Amino acid sequence: MICGKCSKNHATVHVTEVVNGVKKEAHLCEECARAAGGKFTFSITDILANLIEPPKAGGKTVEATAPRCPECGISYTQFKEKARLGCPNDYEVFKAGLLPLLEKVHGSTQHAGKTPHTVESVIRKETELVRLKRDLDSVVKTEDFEKAAELRDRIRTLETELNKGKP
Amino acid sequence: MTIDDLIQQSGEWLKGTGPDSDVVISSRIRLARNLSRFPFMTMATPEVRGEIQAFVRRRLEEALGARRVQYFPFAKLSPIDRQLLFERHLVSREHANGEGERGVAISPDETVSIMVNEEDHLRLQVLRSGLQLEQSYQQIDQIDTDLEQHLTYAYHSRFGYLTCCPTNVGTGLRISVMLHLPAAVLTKQIEKVLGTLARLNYTVRGLYGEGTSPIGDLFQISNQVTLGKSERDIITELKNVIPKVIEFERVWRHKLADDEPRKVEDRVWRAYGLLKHARVISSEETIEQLSYLRLGVYLGIIPQVPMTILNDLFIFTQPSHLQKIQGKVLEAVDRDVVRAEFIRKRLAAL
Repeated sequence: MICGKCSKNHATVHVTEVVNGVKKEAHLCEECARAAGGKFTFSITDILANLIEPPKAGGKTVEATAPRCPECGISYTQFKEKARLGCPNDYEVFKAGLLPLLEKVHGSTQHAGKTPHTVESVIRKETELVRLKRDLDSVVKTEDFEKAAELRDRIRTLETELNKGKP
Repeated sequence: MTIDDLIQQSGEWLKGTGPDSDVVISSRIRLARNLSRFPFMTMATPEVRGEIQAFVRRRLEEALGARRVQYFPFAKLSPIDRQLLFERHLVSREHANGEGERGVAISPDETVSIMVNEEDHLRLQVLRSGLQLEQSYQQIDQIDTDLEQHLTYAYHSRFGYLTCCPTNVGTGLRISVMLHLPAAVLTKQIEKVLGTLARLNYTVRGLYGEGTSPIGDLFQISNQVTLGKSERDIITELKNVIPKVIEFERVWRHKLADDEPRKVEDRVWRAYGLLKHARVISSEETIEQLSYLRLGVYLGIIPQVPMTILNDLFIFTQPSHLQKIQGKVLEAVDRDVVRAEFIRKRLAAL
């Protein structure tokens, strides 16, 4: 293995660091390792950039198929490099690449918190529904059946309300 | 209110009056928010940045009124004033040192600050003394709700509040609790605490000093996950974890005092003597010695020093604060002299 830093010498020092639950590896030659002074700190950008892999989409990678965002103009590669998005629309445009990343970072891909009042009440109810269902799962696990029954009632009411609005 | 007025007062969080303030210095809650009709900061041209700032400033004033917050555009502030805002924990280091149109809105009691054009269009922050997660969240939630009537946030039904960096998406909520853990450090129990917190998915970092050797025994614990949990879940989890850390630290403080009373007393009195008499002192040494003094006050070794004085010394001995007090720009060597003098006067007045 060649040193990841100078790309010349043989890598003899292998470092694994876990930052924020994300494993990061470095393979360095002795010289570069000494120059680093035994300190291997990876920035959050490094870690994220490493996590943002081009997922497969019908045989081709997202990178190859995903267009640039029509709103802000950034490409998936640019997002990968900086680990920063360019505009709100990117969350839709790069959704395929973002989903596995969010799963790794947050352990979830579904918001369960506050909703702006300006957002239609339907969305608020849907979010509430997701949260109630998740709460139900956890109380069932702890065998708190009284609480589970209560949650089930609230879920049913919400579902009825949501279905009413549909054509 | 001007930036100069800040020098005449200390913010709410510095009063040292909050719950558990023997261990918890402060609680901070931050919400990351973006506007739906503008690109994120990464893609904002200087013109767009200016437009965002003007727009947000107008809406902030409409929604909250001049009584609740006052806006400071950074273009009108000197580098020392910006640094002062950072030293008071009202803006991030990145915001203080960054380029381009930006600013901050601050409430008169300094509990609220709203950074405009940081990494996100808006970063709402509430900072309070001691462990006050509920109160802090209620306060920031109200401000967020008030603001939302006057502008449209970037929001997605699946991903929640959209942020420039995907690590903040969802609730955009980051809670940071600043803890003073001198006994855990002295008894070498700190690694255990930090390891446990890391396993529970919390980020812990030393407030001062590099990487593994933080100075002043000050640590900041923050939540990492912002998506998939409600604000309430995130707060409740921290409300369960933090008291365990507080209790752990208290137990070790008393154990330390029982097992090695001479050693602890000596360290505390040395710190007191040093701060009381030094003629030249650096920021680092001040932070380090103040930590022992704080421990000594808690253990009743030096009861005459009130917590507020310790907090004042902690904040007012920072570079920009000293320069503001002196009313002039000072080189580091001169600051060390002025700092020693400032501390001597404060402690002599007791």
